[in-house]
Amino acid sequence: MWHIAKREIYDNLNSLRFALATVLLFGLMLTNAVVHLREHPMRMQKYHDAVTESLNRSRSRTHLYDIAQRGPGLLYKKPSSLHFCADGGDIFLPDAVHILIRRITDGLMGFWQLDYRPATHNSKNIRPDTIKVDWGFVIGYVLSLIAILFTFDSISGEREHGTLRLMLANSIPRHTVLIGKFLGALVSISVPFTLAVLMNLLVISTSSDVQLGTEAWNRLGIIFFIAMLYLCLFLALGLLVSSRVQQSAASLVILLLTWVIFVVFMPSTLASIASGFSTPMTYDEFRERRTRLYIQLSDEYVTRLQDAREHPAKRIALGGEYVTKDAAARERLSQEFLDQQHAQIQLGRSVTRISPVAIVQYLLEVFAGTGFERHQQFVENAQRYAREYREFVTDMDRADPESLHIIGIPEGMSKKPINSESIPTFEDTLSLSRDFNTAIIDLLLLALFFVVLLSGAYMVFVRVEI
Amino acid sequence: MITTLIRRELLDNLMTFRFAAAVFIMLLLVVANSAVLIKDYERRLAAYNTALKTEHQQLRERKTYSAGGLDVARPPNPLSIFNVGLDKRLGNEIWISHGFVPTLWDARMQGTTNPLLNLFSAIDIVFIFEVVLSLMALIFAYDAIAGERERGTLRLVLTHPIRRGHILLAKYISAMTCLLVPLLVSLLLAAILLTTSTAISLSIGDFLRIGGIILSSIVYLSVFYLIGMLISAVTRRTGTALMLAMFVWGFWVLVYPNVILAAIAPPQTSQARMVSTYDQIKQIWDEFDRERKHFLANDAVPGEDPHFGMVGEGSHFGIIGGSGFNYAYFYRNPSRLEYFYLAGSNIGKLTEESKPRVPHAQNYYHFLVPQTINTAERAWLVRKQALETIFVQPAIIDRILLRCSPVGMYDAATQAWAGTDLHGLRDFFQVVRKYRRTLIDYYYDKKAFGSQQWFSADKGAVDWDSLPQFSFQRSDVRINAARALPDLLLLIMINLFLFMIIFLVFQRSEV
Repeated sequence: MWHIAKREIYDNLNSLRFALATVLLFGLMLTNAVVHLREHPMRMQKYHDAVTESLNRSRSRTHLYDIAQRGPGLLYKKPSSLHFCADGGDIFLPDAVHILIRRITDGLMGFWQLDYRPATHNSKNIRPDTIKVDWGFVIGYVLSLIAILFTFDSISGEREHGTLRLMLANSIPRHTVLIGKFLGALVSISVPFTLAVLMNLLVISTSSDVQLGTEAWNRLGIIFFIAMLYLCLFLALGLLVSSRVQQSAASLVILLLTWVIFVVFMPSTLASIASGFSTPMTYDEFRERRTRLYIQLSDEYVTRLQDAREHPAKRIALGGEYVTKDAAARERLSQEFLDQQHAQIQLGRSVTRISPVAIVQYLLEVFAGTGFERHQQFVENAQRYAREYREFVTDMDRADPESLHIIGIPEGMSKKPINSESIPTFEDTLSLSRDFNTAIIDLLLLALFFVVLLSGAYMVFVRVEI
Repeated sequence: MITTLIRRELLDNLMTFRFAAAVFIMLLLVVANSAVLIKDYERRLAAYNTALKTEHQQLRERKTYSAGGLDVARPPNPLSIFNVGLDKRLGNEIWISHGFVPTLWDARMQGTTNPLLNLFSAIDIVFIFEVVLSLMALIFAYDAIAGERERGTLRLVLTHPIRRGHILLAKYISAMTCLLVPLLVSLLLAAILLTTSTAISLSIGDFLRIGGIILSSIVYLSVFYLIGMLISAVTRRTGTALMLAMFVWGFWVLVYPNVILAAIAPPQTSQARMVSTYDQIKQIWDEFDRERKHFLANDAVPGEDPHFGMVGEGSHFGIIGGSGFNYAYFYRNPSRLEYFYLAGSNIGKLTEESKPRVPHAQNYYHFLVPQTINTAERAWLVRKQALETIFVQPAIIDRILLRCSPVGMYDAATQAWAGTDLHGLRDFFQVVRKYRRTLIDYYYDKKAFGSQQWFSADKGAVDWDSLPQFSFQRSDVRINAARALPDLLLLIMINLFLFMIIFLVFQRSEV
């Protein structure tokens, strides 16, 4: 078996395709590193500036009512240091959760709520559309194409030349031939790929602006493993088609068309079709429901206020109740709106898992800490923080015996100055174990694809006539 | 003799597996994606119609001239199904006010159901052609000469008294005919799908534009076929030719367009230019503010309150028991070079004590509004140039870089035909700016600035019915053609050039 693999490797090393593939991989990985080094410091700078500004703004408040009414500053998503692995369409994802405050009447101010505004960076962009050159592109598109170009003739080519017959005459079992071919191709592609990856990481880690911690290296290790699994998958596909088809030209045509469909078109087309089946609330519907909510709440308030005209204490209590109710109801509504949008995307993404390139893309996004899954995590973090923040306000108010404990009205709340250091701050965190749990199904799916294709290739090759 | 050759080649090509695969895959992709695209277009059109209705409603809610600007919606382009270009990405609603000259950077996105859907990149018909047609052309071409040479049939053919040029021509014509089948059939199916949709109505001009897109597609296809043929002519073996062809395809279609834009750093000077322009615009408005304050200081009502303390009744969006609203502030957005002054009020019924203030306010607005318009025009002159250098120029450079690949030329040409390129989009904003001038002229005619209706509806609300209507027509087909022509000619020239090289190589090569 090693003999066959070795022969295959020697054959490949001397070929034109090996040289071209190496040049291509190195060029792409170098571009990726250079672009990352150029863009990442700017991204981090922007994030830090924004966070400091938002923190300063919230720290400047000392009255509990102010803290409770205005809420924290904007909550920003922390850029990932592994952004070069997968861009994850970050330009289409909002990088912050906003804070919305509504004026209810001229005298009554509403409380803050989390406001999920869509990303707008791209709506001013007039530069041409391109795919980001990240590892996801290099692995998903280029590596798979190279895998196909290395395997399309590995069996059919030998059959055409008649060397396959010679080889099998030497009483070598067929599966040994197949595994040898597979290993040979795997080694001859993974060597330049690994070198290109190492060069990329070397360039990136030499810069002082970009720090990669232990966890980042662990993540990179997993990403490399995924890339290898994906490469194996396409090699198996190549072998399968190559052993089934008589001519290598036909084998290449089939492989290329499969590749084009699965890699280039399937992810977006299927996702677009699938997401058409889910119809989330439209923005107009949302706005209408919100207006109805406002009217309903204010009508209720106004009628109850009329009964309580003579009792100032009761009016305060009513105002407080109104404000808290209004904030909670508004937040529920926008949460529902957001959840429906996320569910639609989720549906589109789960359908595209038929295509291995989509799986790899999602896996890379998860482990690189970018993209949609990460965004959902960020939104969850923001929501958890919002709860913490509100609890903090209630706790502070409860701790003051002089307060009327009516949250929502300046007169009803504690007037003690608050130490701004004690206000909880937002921390956007990532955990590898959690990411791993979300990714495990995708990983298994990818492995399953590989096993099915490889055993398919084995079955076909064993039964084929030479 | 050449007809015999063409017939032979045609039969050879038509009977192959690759031909069947090409037809099948093109039909599959074009039909599936057309359905998605048409649905998407219908959704955008519905959003546009809703936007028109909301704009109309909002206008009716305003009781005074200064209660707010007007919103103008941008209709989606039906030809964006072929090449979406910038049509879907850029803002589709723009706000018009007398105090600000709008550009495409000030438009906002309205009516998208789920903005996160952008995560799934839209695949338009031209993109399918870009990827699949070029691949098909190379697959058809790689063995055109090398294959015959390998099998020895080339030698046989050349024993007949045939010119070598004729062989090339026959091969080219027959392969192109075969490749046109999937192209035209899939486009025909797409056209049928288009006409079945009730939301889409295409004019004769649109059909001419589609014709232009088809023409560009054919020329693009031919470029890739000739590249394949060239590779086939210079290589000895089909295996090498195939490998080279695939890498050339991967490079031009996949790698080059994405890498070149990532690798070229955005110009660093733009930040400094942004800041200096913003300061310049701010200075213009500061000057305006000084004059404004000066005017207020000389007024008989003491203080600097631009609303002279007028109060009354009136709707105030979403607030219980509103008393109308006043506003006066400088709008600032350095990232888009926006800096302008907004002032106005929307008060229904004025209170008795406010009524003596009315002549003061009238006097003030009579001075303020023309001043605002003048300042806005002056600031616009500065802003226009800055936007041109900071945003438009890098985009133009990007497009020039993309044109180093036939894919870029093809994309640019089809965008120009469809009217979804930068020019097409800017046409709309040109019309919007013209409309703004019309509105200002209308206000002058109505003497709106000095009237009480500018800020209060005490003496009756504004009659919006006589307001000039906004209408936008996409540019004429001839203009589209003129914009597409440079790229189309470039593609044709590449065709001729490649054919000449192949001819020379083939003429001198040994058989």
